[in-house]
Amino acid sequence: MGPLVPQEIIGADWNLFIAFAIGIGFGFVLEQAGFSSSRKLAGMFYGYDTVVLKVFFTGAITAMLGLLFFSLFGWIDLNLIYVNPTFLGSAIVGGVIMGAGFIIGGFCPGTSVCAAAIGKIDAMIFIGGIFLGIFFFAEGYPLLKDFYMSGSMGPLKVSDVFGISGGVLALIVIITAIVMFKLGELAEKRWPREEY
Amino acid sequence: MKTKYMNPYLAGVLLGLVLLMAFFFSGRGLGASGAVKSVVVAAVDVVAPEHTANSGYYSKYVGEGKSPMKAWLVFEMIGVLVGGFLSGAFSGRLKWKVEHFPGITANRRLIFAGMGGILFGFGSQLGRGCTSGSALTGMASLSVAGFVSMMVIFGTAFALAFFLRKNWI
Amino acid sequence: MTIRNIIFIGLILLGVVIAMVPENTTKPYKLTAEDMLVEVQGAAEMVTADEVAHWLVSKDPSLQLIDVRTPDEFQKYHLEGAINIPISVILKDENRDYVDQGIKMNVLYSNGTIGSHQAWMILRQLGFENNYVMQGGLNYWFDTIMNPQKPASTSPDEEFAKYDFRKAASGVFGGGSGVALTAPTQSKADKPKVKRKKKKKAPAGGC
Repeated sequence: MGPLVPQEIIGADWNLFIAFAIGIGFGFVLEQAGFSSSRKLAGMFYGYDTVVLKVFFTGAITAMLGLLFFSLFGWIDLNLIYVNPTFLGSAIVGGVIMGAGFIIGGFCPGTSVCAAAIGKIDAMIFIGGIFLGIFFFAEGYPLLKDFYMSGSMGPLKVSDVFGISGGVLALIVIITAIVMFKLGELAEKRWPREEY
Repeated sequence: MKTKYMNPYLAGVLLGLVLLMAFFFSGRGLGASGAVKSVVVAAVDVVAPEHTANSGYYSKYVGEGKSPMKAWLVFEMIGVLVGGFLSGAFSGRLKWKVEHFPGITANRRLIFAGMGGILFGFGSQLGRGCTSGSALTGMASLSVAGFVSMMVIFGTAFALAFFLRKNWI
Repeated sequence: MTIRNIIFIGLILLGVVIAMVPENTTKPYKLTAEDMLVEVQGAAEMVTADEVAHWLVSKDPSLQLIDVRTPDEFQKYHLEGAINIPISVILKDENRDYVDQGIKMNVLYSNGTIGSHQAWMILRQLGFENNYVMQGGLNYWFDTIMNPQKPASTSPDEEFAKYDFRKAASGVFGGGSGVALTAPTQSKADKPKVKRKKKKKAPAGGC
């Protein structure tokens, strides 16, 4: 049955409207969770507020389980789902740069847009920074291209790397996440701080 | 801990359901930096169309019948603005302000926000997606790239947290 | 019980369930039995050996011959430009770009028509389009194209035209009466460099 647009069950014209509707849900949930506050986000890295960990992992796990169950029931064809391709070298270096940007700027792109929507001026500056950063990358692309394309492994899945089923991997991730949630809650007790 | 925000686990489940709906309807996950990229491409295309047509990076997104702004992620991010605004209005959090740790000045916060944004923007292109597009979505679809992004982004932020503690605590 | 605990327990239970059940690897059929009956009765999936010969001679770029016999048989003899996708691996992901595409016209063939038809039935029910079956298979190909029989002198003119074409074609394909047909006449045993096109419904995404 699903995904509906790639299977042409819903016309492609609807895709942008769906994107808009999904964006509203995304923005609403992010803001309700408190992701519009850079101090709350940064709390993750100092142990006083681990909401990022909790929301991020619960979200990833819920969607992961949803995809696996939908596939089990034949509601969605996982072959038609976009799996982002792995380019190991650029993923790691890009991740390091993003991690630095996260702790320096206090946002990631999605949360900054959400924070800008409720009037956070620091988030708007952060978005301006993203704009410049992407511009710099695009202008420097001829120099970066070789590295950008190196280490291509295609749309590789973790379950295939370890030779386990997606379901077993999901269970491992769930157990790991719950252990981390417990640690996060301990950290919040250890370094309590007023909420922002 | 008393909180004015939604229970984080409940918010996580809702976030996961939104992501699942994106997969179910459009066959793809959420994203954020891609929308800013579209804006960059569109802006450069207005200023210097020849440059976009010839550049290795921009040329993928412009050309006959292609409009960089008519992209899934652009509409999704417009939705995020609306959704975030609605949520802020609903919970009484709409306010112009520079949020910062009281120990630093607002200007310092803005400078660091700008620097962080530049790094995040650059890194998101090199790493093919940000926390939403690569890490969150990638993990849900079990992609190696997603798990790698997640671990490297959070790992680096943890590793650097000590050096930037004056900004936050 | 707090929301947190409900969610923890729910996630663990769902995780245990999903870890224990086997993954769904079935590929759902997209066409109903009635749809298939209509298609099979219409016989629109058949192309004749003469048509294939025409396309081959004119080097029609949209033609993609797919040999569904075993690799051994393929090695011994196959039509020019054909690729080998044995029916046993026709559902494998690496072949999907060939059998599910929107640019080329795939013509399946086997020795007779049974193997190619079996393959076609499966592909068609999966909803894939642009796949056809060469009528009569290789056996008929040899009988008509490679060793054309001169029609009786009382035959209508079209028969002679057909015969002339077949005779010319068999020359092109290295056949003709008196030539050993079982000898492999092709040197390219490998899949030709068909430019892999994007799947019609390639999943898109990313930042």
